[in-house]
Amino acid sequence: MSSMEVSAKNVRDKTEAKPSGSTHSLTRKVLLVGSPNVGKSMLFNRLTGRYVIVSNYPGTTVELSKGAADIAGHKYEIIDTPGMYSLSPITDEEKVASDLLLKDHADAVVHVIDAKNIQRMLGLTLQLIEASLPVILVLNMSDEARQLGIHIDSAKLEELLQIPVVETVAISGKGTAELLHRIHHARPARSRLIDYPAAIENAISAIAEQLEEDQHLSCRTRSLLLLQADPQAMDTCPVFEKNVDIEFVKDTTGDCLSKLDHSVHYHLTWAIQEEVKSIVAGSVKLPDSRFIGFREKLSRFCMHPVAGLPILFVVLYFGIYKFVGGFGAGILVDFLESNIFELYINPFVVKITSDWISWQPLYDLIAGEYGVITLGIRYAIAIVLPIVGTFFIAFSILEDSGYLPRLAMLIDRLFKRLGLNGRAVIPIVLGFGCTTMATMVTRTLESKREKVIASILLALAIPCSAQFGVILGLLATHPYALLAWALFVGAVFVLVGTLLARFFPGEKPSFYMELPPLRLPRLANVFIKTYSRMVWYFKEILPLFILASFLIWLGDLTGIFQWTIKMLTPLVNAIGLPDDASIAFIFGFFRRDYGVAGLYDLQKGGMMTGNQLAVAAITLTLFLPCIAQFLVFKKECGFKIAAITSVCICIIAFTVGFIANSVFNIFGLVL
Amino acid sequence: MICSFCDKEFDEQAAEKQCGQCSLFGGCKKVKCPHCGYESPKQPQSLKWLSKIGKRKK
Repeated sequence: MSSMEVSAKNVRDKTEAKPSGSTHSLTRKVLLVGSPNVGKSMLFNRLTGRYVIVSNYPGTTVELSKGAADIAGHKYEIIDTPGMYSLSPITDEEKVASDLLLKDHADAVVHVIDAKNIQRMLGLTLQLIEASLPVILVLNMSDEARQLGIHIDSAKLEELLQIPVVETVAISGKGTAELLHRIHHARPARSRLIDYPAAIENAISAIAEQLEEDQHLSCRTRSLLLLQADPQAMDTCPVFEKNVDIEFVKDTTGDCLSKLDHSVHYHLTWAIQEEVKSIVAGSVKLPDSRFIGFREKLSRFCMHPVAGLPILFVVLYFGIYKFVGGFGAGILVDFLESNIFELYINPFVVKITSDWISWQPLYDLIAGEYGVITLGIRYAIAIVLPIVGTFFIAFSILEDSGYLPRLAMLIDRLFKRLGLNGRAVIPIVLGFGCTTMATMVTRTLESKREKVIASILLALAIPCSAQFGVILGLLATHPYALLAWALFVGAVFVLVGTLLARFFPGEKPSFYMELPPLRLPRLANVFIKTYSRMVWYFKEILPLFILASFLIWLGDLTGIFQWTIKMLTPLVNAIGLPDDASIAFIFGFFRRDYGVAGLYDLQKGGMMTGNQLAVAAITLTLFLPCIAQFLVFKKECGFKIAAITSVCICIIAFTVGFIANSVFNIFGLVL
Repeated sequence: MICSFCDKEFDEQAAEKQCGQCSLFGGCKKVKCPHCGYESPKQPQSLKWLSKIGKRKK
């Protein structure tokens, strides 16, 4: 905005505007709101100076900073609110910010946004305008936006939004003087920018008629918040009013929902985003830079149902197959196994133990075939850790680049075509990290149907990071076996998912999310994420591997282990595997990666062909989940469903293993 | 803490409060984003010390 325009607007403001809100009080109140990391606190310091009071918001541990400012001889209290993304709060911080906005009757609400990400942040501005709050939009970091080639026509934006718009650079203080002037002349927004679907508009009108007029907050916003509130927790809604007929609101909400194909929240978000797009198109000029263009194109390609698949293939081939399978499972495991454990650690442990311990069972516990060190710790450190470590590096790079949400969108589209549930994308993507944790995340799904479908698919066909990594390592030297494994497990996933979706009829809710930007991963972030995951994983698996070794030793001592092997052997033979593979399946009862590590040992000993490796990997992937996942499944879906699912999973695993082996034999395939 | 999935910021300690309802009795040592449900491992103490030392040196 030019200085001429600023001064012209100032003149207009001086003549027309009256400070809103508590004009009668001596100190006027200003709220600084906005998402985290937009420079709100820096701007707060610019506006208030040094003397700041930091206190907890009553009844919470959320901190609020308050300071004072003097504008044109009037005293102002400036409050830096916690970060918030929308008026419908999720976190404690957002609840506090929302409470302050809706209940505190501020004289000015300064919405600070990062000018570089205007499209992501303008949604909240529209909500504040809709609430008739005295909002001022601050385009902070406007210098950085300009450097990136983003040109925002703030005069046009001001015209479209019908609220004051100020460009600032909080670090240098640029624009602060104009902002103070605008704060002094703030007045409630009066424009209505968003049109929702007819069913929602009717519900808003019906609820609004029940509400008493409030000069600080529009009936429209109060109705919208009540419409989105959980009926079970209506009285915790920030705009809950004692004279509101809750039953009427619930009936109206129910009636409104029955006329919509998606949730109210979905339609609201969609309508706001559409309006934001049109406002941005009319007031923001995006850069011509080739890099930004490439990034945006790549982002769209990643989510495209056709173009997204080759990108996914490249990610899987280079990021997972070559890096995890080739480097992690090949070079690193070989080095640790052959050069460290076999040359130094195992001989040293065997020597020390045989020198000092004469009681054979105790010797076996420490250094025997299934010993705690020679098996448990060796599996954990020499086999699983390097594979999982490289997997975590690849996963952290994908995470930090912003590829995962795009993968979720891509999978969501494919899921819908297969008749599967779109909302299950997050737990399924998470399942590749840890299926146990992902089973917990199914709790975020709305209906029991969705929870059961997602939990069964997780337990059956999604290998956790450790198992996935070890399978890749196991089959890296037999690419056709790896392809066969992917085809069989993928087919089971699609078939079981489609059958479950038919077996449990119900609505298929939509999945949507605000996409973070696609960016180059930062080395420090990748390191922190990888290190945190490795520490977490190591702490979790090491005690379990040691416990498993101990239990196997106990079973060996009592004869239970041999008896179980004897019982499993016919089953294992039926799918074309050697007797010794039974041991891997027993290991798999403790953890699936422990089982696959057992197969790794057999492969190294030259005891399995490519076909057998593929069959074993398919069966073990589909095999029972680990003990922890069973317990979580039981808790989330009940013992009956968990027990039935576990039995079905065992049957499916061995049946598919049998089919795979038969297919290989009938067609004479050598993998 | 910034969620690795949806890129939104949340308070790690506040997110941990929700862990009381978890069926993993020993705790999973992960932090769940209240916005999208994505879970990330907690930052190990050793890393926190390192970052503190780094800040002091600055």
